[in-house]
Amino acid sequence: MNNRLSGETIDMRFTPTELSKQELELQREVRGFLLEELPPGSHEPCLGMAARKNKEFSLKMADRGWVGMALPTEWGGSDRTAVDRFIVVEEMLRWGAPVGHHWVADRQTGNVILKFGTEEQRERFLPAICRGELGFSIGMSEPDSGSDLASVSTKAEATTGGWIINGTKIWTSGAHENDWFVCLLRTSPLEDGNKHAGLSQFLIDLKSPGLEISPIPFLDGSHHFNEVTFNEVFVPETNVVGDLGMGWHQNTTEMAYERGGPDRWLSPFSTVEQLLREARGTDLEPVVSDLFGELIARWWGIRNLSLSVARLIDTGEAPSVESSLVKEMGTRFEQEVIEKLVHLIDLEYSPDSDSLFERLLAQCVVTFPGNTIRGGTIEILRSVASKGLKGLPA
Amino acid sequence: MSDASEVDTLITDTADRLFSQLCDHESIQKAEADGQASDIWSAFADTGFPWISISEESGGSGGTLLDALEVLRLVGYHAAPIPAAETGILGGWLMSSAGLELPSGIVTVLPNGSQGLAVERTGDRLTISGRGLRVPWARVAETIVVPLEIDGQTFAAAIDSSECQISRMTNMAGEPRDTVDFENVDVFAAVLPSEINLETFRFRGALSRTALMAGAIEKMSQLTVSYTNDRVQFGRPVAKFQAVQQHLVWGAQDAALARMAAESAGREANRGPALFEIAAAKLIANQASARATKACHQAHGAMGMTQEYPLHHLSRRLWSWRKEYGGDAEWSSWLGRVAVAQDADGLYPLITGGSAVLS
Repeated sequence: MNNRLSGETIDMRFTPTELSKQELELQREVRGFLLEELPPGSHEPCLGMAARKNKEFSLKMADRGWVGMALPTEWGGSDRTAVDRFIVVEEMLRWGAPVGHHWVADRQTGNVILKFGTEEQRERFLPAICRGELGFSIGMSEPDSGSDLASVSTKAEATTGGWIINGTKIWTSGAHENDWFVCLLRTSPLEDGNKHAGLSQFLIDLKSPGLEISPIPFLDGSHHFNEVTFNEVFVPETNVVGDLGMGWHQNTTEMAYERGGPDRWLSPFSTVEQLLREARGTDLEPVVSDLFGELIARWWGIRNLSLSVARLIDTGEAPSVESSLVKEMGTRFEQEVIEKLVHLIDLEYSPDSDSLFERLLAQCVVTFPGNTIRGGTIEILRSVASKGLKGLPA
Repeated sequence: MSDASEVDTLITDTADRLFSQLCDHESIQKAEADGQASDIWSAFADTGFPWISISEESGGSGGTLLDALEVLRLVGYHAAPIPAAETGILGGWLMSSAGLELPSGIVTVLPNGSQGLAVERTGDRLTISGRGLRVPWARVAETIVVPLEIDGQTFAAAIDSSECQISRMTNMAGEPRDTVDFENVDVFAAVLPSEINLETFRFRGALSRTALMAGAIEKMSQLTVSYTNDRVQFGRPVAKFQAVQQHLVWGAQDAALARMAAESAGREANRGPALFEIAAAKLIANQASARATKACHQAHGAMGMTQEYPLHHLSRRLWSWRKEYGGDAEWSSWLGRVAVAQDADGLYPLITGGSAVLS
């Protein structure tokens, strides 16, 4: 059926879709796994994609074939669909599972290496990603390049057998714990009128000599962010990903995988679920009950949109406008959920409370302003999406 | 007919063309001034559109509920000023489900069911007295249908409109929402199948409004993208300004969200019980229409506040439909009761499984 939003200006493609029998079977399997590994009440739920790193857990997921699952079997993946991956990710996140170790590799780096990497790179990295072994950081932002990503100035200069890198990357999540760094670097000087040219992607060992990692403490004192400085760091020729100068294009493709998935709308779910768990047996005030009604309706609606984007990816499309719209909406919704809870529930919640709900809520309040910033601010997403609405290239 | 789970595009393409031809700005304005649009209705009815999803044996046009809902979405998209939902998936559905013969003219329903009516039963004879409020297009209806609960059974009662006193009222979009007075009026009543009762009628009404609203929000969003790309200020199209882009994106999101919700609920309803999906979809459409009308009006500036520009055909309908068959409070309360009745572990399975989890 032609289900596109028709008209002269808009060509969005959100088509309702349902899970097949096999997909529902996968959903049951993942729920069973989580019930066994992380029985409710036995673990402190993580708040979405900002999940704890737990390599042991990642290895167990990989044993089931759930890390890098959409990668081809010849590279250690399971050749599963984007929808299958959606199902696994969705269940992990709503459960608050510690998926931090393999998160970036599973969501985007595996795809990038498969799509743009050399045979040697695929052989070297993809099976290890699918075994849940490797953790990746992403190197995009710099002190003077945030939303204006094309202005990155960290330089890679050709030398015998490879490249010498100088400069600084910031907001690098997990660099102090991860193994590898996928970095967008300038390989030729900024050209007037063609700011997207001259950028290339590199795979960099985070243990390289000359590479220094220092923490940028998060506002609550926790350590996620880092500053990574390159001082004459040598990277071998074989670690260039894709074509020289095509980094911007590759990066944009990577974003289509990054945006619009369950990680952009499920972060507060554990908190809401825990409220219901702790309230069991007591009479909830009607306004709180109504809020549950409103939230499950929105989650149902946004999930249907997000699932339809995964289905579209499985038809070979790169739905960048659709996924930007979902991410912009989903991350704002995440903040709205928390604001509504704060508004309705009169508690002086504390990060040290005996109540898990209060601890989670406190953590959401403090960390969720970042949800509409990370991976592209909502202002940038609006710019991408609104050009797409008019049918202009983003 | 093609696969029953897919919309028949032959039907909907034809409806789209018909409305594109008939529902121009002037015709919609004229319908509002006249209190009806008999020419648009005639063209619509001549092709059998109102009776899609009612079987041919019952005097309908055949097709599925999905086809009918897609036509309703187009009614909303084109702001077609006609009682399509009332004659078809509401009134026509009640009558045909009860085995009553469909009239050739317009059918409407009492949206609040038998509320405010006194029903007297003498043997096989039913008479009703009382007042029906906000009855869509009662002034042009041939038959007014009401679901009645009597002794634990639900009946569809058909009333000849000529026996009622009708006072003209409108909703905020100028669509007829008349007051109908009955005094000892005889009705033809027949019992409905057990799955149809006052509650399922309410949900069916909500489903009809959800489809209409999805269409109207989508058209409103498209108008806004076009307008802001054409309108030049400070030397460039206003759509280039980030502050305006925010409105465009929010409007487009709510168009996508409302349509996804309406279509997902329609698919479920086409298969069986869909209480969760319909409740969620109506609440989503209500809230989406509130946000989208605000964003789209803001992006249009003063032009959107004029009668000559068509934005109001959509926004005024949305403000009205938001309150018909359940506002935000009714549906969030219904959904909240369902959600809280699950234990915490059941909350997410409810979101993914919907009505199937509840049955």
